[in-house]
Amino acid sequence: MSEQPPIPRPEQRPLPPAPGADQRRIVLPPHRERARRPRSVRVREWVRKNLFPSTGGTLLTLIAAGIMGAIVVGIVIFVFFGANWEVITHNRWLLFAGGFPHEEAWRLWVSIAVVFALIGAAYGTWSSFGRRDHLFVLLVGGFVIFLMAHGGAAIWSTVYFLIAIGCMYLGYAVTIWMPRETSTLRTFQQRVVGGLLAVSLPLVLIILLVGGEVGPRHLDGFVLNLILAPVGIVGGIVLGIPLALGRASRLRSISLTCTAYIEIVRGAPLLGWLFVALFILDDVIGGDLIIRAMVVMAVFTGAYMAEYIRGALQALPRGQYEAAQAVGLTELQRTRLIIMPQALRISIPPMVGQAISIWKDTTLVTVILPLRELKGNADSAIAQFEFTPDRIEAYVFVAVIFWIVAFAMSRISQRVERAQGVGER
Amino acid sequence: MRLPSLRGRRLVSAMLFAGAALVAGAVIGACTSDEDDQQAQATEQQQQQMEQQDQPAAEQQQEQQRAAPRAQDSGEPRGNTIQLVQDRGTLKCGVKQTQPLFGFRDDQGNVTGFDIEFCKAIAAAVLKDADAVEYVDASDASTRFELLADGQIDILIRTTTITSSRDMELDVDFAQTTFYTGQGFAVRKDSGIDSTSDMANASICVQTGTTTEQNVADHFTDIGLDYEPTGGLSQDVAAAFFEGRCDVLTADASDLASRIVVRDDADDYKILPQIISKEPLAPGVRDYDSDWKDVVNWVVHGLIRAEEIGITQANVAAMAADPPNTEVARLLGVPFGDGEVATLGFDVVDAQFIQRAIAAVGNYGEIYDREIGDAIERDCTLNALARPLPSEAVDCGPGEGGIMYALPYR
Repeated sequence: MSEQPPIPRPEQRPLPPAPGADQRRIVLPPHRERARRPRSVRVREWVRKNLFPSTGGTLLTLIAAGIMGAIVVGIVIFVFFGANWEVITHNRWLLFAGGFPHEEAWRLWVSIAVVFALIGAAYGTWSSFGRRDHLFVLLVGGFVIFLMAHGGAAIWSTVYFLIAIGCMYLGYAVTIWMPRETSTLRTFQQRVVGGLLAVSLPLVLIILLVGGEVGPRHLDGFVLNLILAPVGIVGGIVLGIPLALGRASRLRSISLTCTAYIEIVRGAPLLGWLFVALFILDDVIGGDLIIRAMVVMAVFTGAYMAEYIRGALQALPRGQYEAAQAVGLTELQRTRLIIMPQALRISIPPMVGQAISIWKDTTLVTVILPLRELKGNADSAIAQFEFTPDRIEAYVFVAVIFWIVAFAMSRISQRVERAQGVGER
Repeated sequence: MRLPSLRGRRLVSAMLFAGAALVAGAVIGACTSDEDDQQAQATEQQQQQMEQQDQPAAEQQQEQQRAAPRAQDSGEPRGNTIQLVQDRGTLKCGVKQTQPLFGFRDDQGNVTGFDIEFCKAIAAAVLKDADAVEYVDASDASTRFELLADGQIDILIRTTTITSSRDMELDVDFAQTTFYTGQGFAVRKDSGIDSTSDMANASICVQTGTTTEQNVADHFTDIGLDYEPTGGLSQDVAAAFFEGRCDVLTADASDLASRIVVRDDADDYKILPQIISKEPLAPGVRDYDSDWKDVVNWVVHGLIRAEEIGITQANVAAMAADPPNTEVARLLGVPFGDGEVATLGFDVVDAQFIQRAIAAVGNYGEIYDREIGDAIERDCTLNALARPLPSEAVDCGPGEGGIMYALPYR
């Protein structure tokens, strides 16, 4: 192959972005700038340098490629030829909502539409959809539609899901269209969307459970996971903030109480606390088992959240407290305006870790409690006589669903971190 | 704020700790002393009972003693489940939701299966509504008896084996067996194994934490052979066997049959004729509640009797309107001719409870055919009627034949 002359690039590289602008764009250092050559040359060079640098390296690359190829081929063969996905498509309602009454199914769809619209509005207000976000929505949407559209009677659930996605883009469009320059309007918009987000969980619970023939015990299948985890996470943060402040308090009675709460709750596994919900809380607070499970989830998560927030409080430079004091803020103002915003920002990464952890721990309610969530209903699906040989398919499906949600949580939190500038200040 | 001196702070914290410890101690003390008292009383009463065995009053006292804590806790009378169920208007039925054929969920989320039919029959009998059942998930074998003892379910119908130790040690009483099975072995046909004596050093997949595991251990001790157990949940060990990770799968023979018959490669496997244990599966109720246990018992017997004398879901209404003989009239709780209705003492659920149960789910044979059908052979097994009707007589081999035998309604 003949050596091609370097093609002059028509435009100059953009200047390094100003601080605060989009941080994702990679700015090449000057010595790399020089090396810009045609794409084919660069690819060849990259391949030689990274994959085949020496005999040993080449060998390793070939072995790794062989293993990875075998895995990929295996997965493709399993997914498209070996697996019998009928266990999933046949049982999609069982897996999704289980015993939720059919005539009340609109509650599920309205809730989903509301949540999707709010996600869209939040993206439109504080961020924007990138190409990868659209791709994620497209892939997940396609996956869900593929599952739900199987069989004629399910066509409406597909339509409802599409409407929900439509609501998301509508919320996004409305909020992104709002002018960002006018600061009063923007503040107003942020307050409205923020307020809606704050009340979204109670709102969804009201839509799902108030009136009609439905009660907490009808929460079943994937819907149960989708309710339990947010209740645990939001309840945990709501409990965690006062607990963290209380533990750091100089009043010993308060700090001892909070410390005792945190240490006692953290000292036993969630499994144990679920047993408490099953056999002890029954006589103490009564109520539906699902409500008790929600309480335990929130109480348990609260102890961890409190510790993450306390860690953040301690990480704040002493000067922040002193400066706030110096300008004459009261204790409450100082906490609300100076300390908490910074502490919460610092504690986002560990709190998201805890959130993902509690999301996966929602499966424990089937292990310990007589409640059936997604994994439990997958167990029931493979107990259907004709599907007893198809357990791998059912578990793979459940794993993918859990991964999708955990991944979405991780990505949204990255967005929030970036918007809040975590790790940059 | 001026911090007090180090000593002062230590003093404050020490006092706080002391106060907290005192409060905690007082609380714990109050709780435990309460329990101790109760336990002491219970022991005392047991001794009394042992001394005065001829006095039924002692037993009654003990029943009250056991019933009391629950009644105080939740205001529900514990000793009378029928009353509890009728006041509540629903039957809390503890069922398994992961057992093929016996207890699982259909694609619409409904709990269904062989065991569930008996929940419906009992609800129809006691509440006059077969749908007034709240199915509580008791899939977890380790907490099933706790759920029952704790009062979170009224009845446990989930392929539970009657054993003497469960009956004596746990707060559970067993009603009439609904399904007889026994522990068997499945092997691949080409494995050359024909009985357990060929299984020296074989790897055996067995569900852990159940009677199954103990049975196989005892059996191999008896025949003096070694084996390698591979444990896990029932569906996991079955999958392990079909993936070739062990030579032998042992479980209830009915479970083995249902797991094999559904497979594409069912012909590659066989179930050995050898059965090493008895596994009678029966509904469980709480101890010290004979009326409730009696009703459950007689519902099951009634469904079996209905099959014996040919009352079906389809003809039960006609039979009740015009009973062909006095026994049918008695069973269905209707008068024969100008006679009176024989209540047979079932005032608490009224005389027509069997009629409602049959109308809801059919007789025993109909339940079997609908829920299990060909998946597990019934003819000539223990689950066949003890006395086949002459028209349906089946030629069984020596030692074969059913033991489903209804007690008389009179």
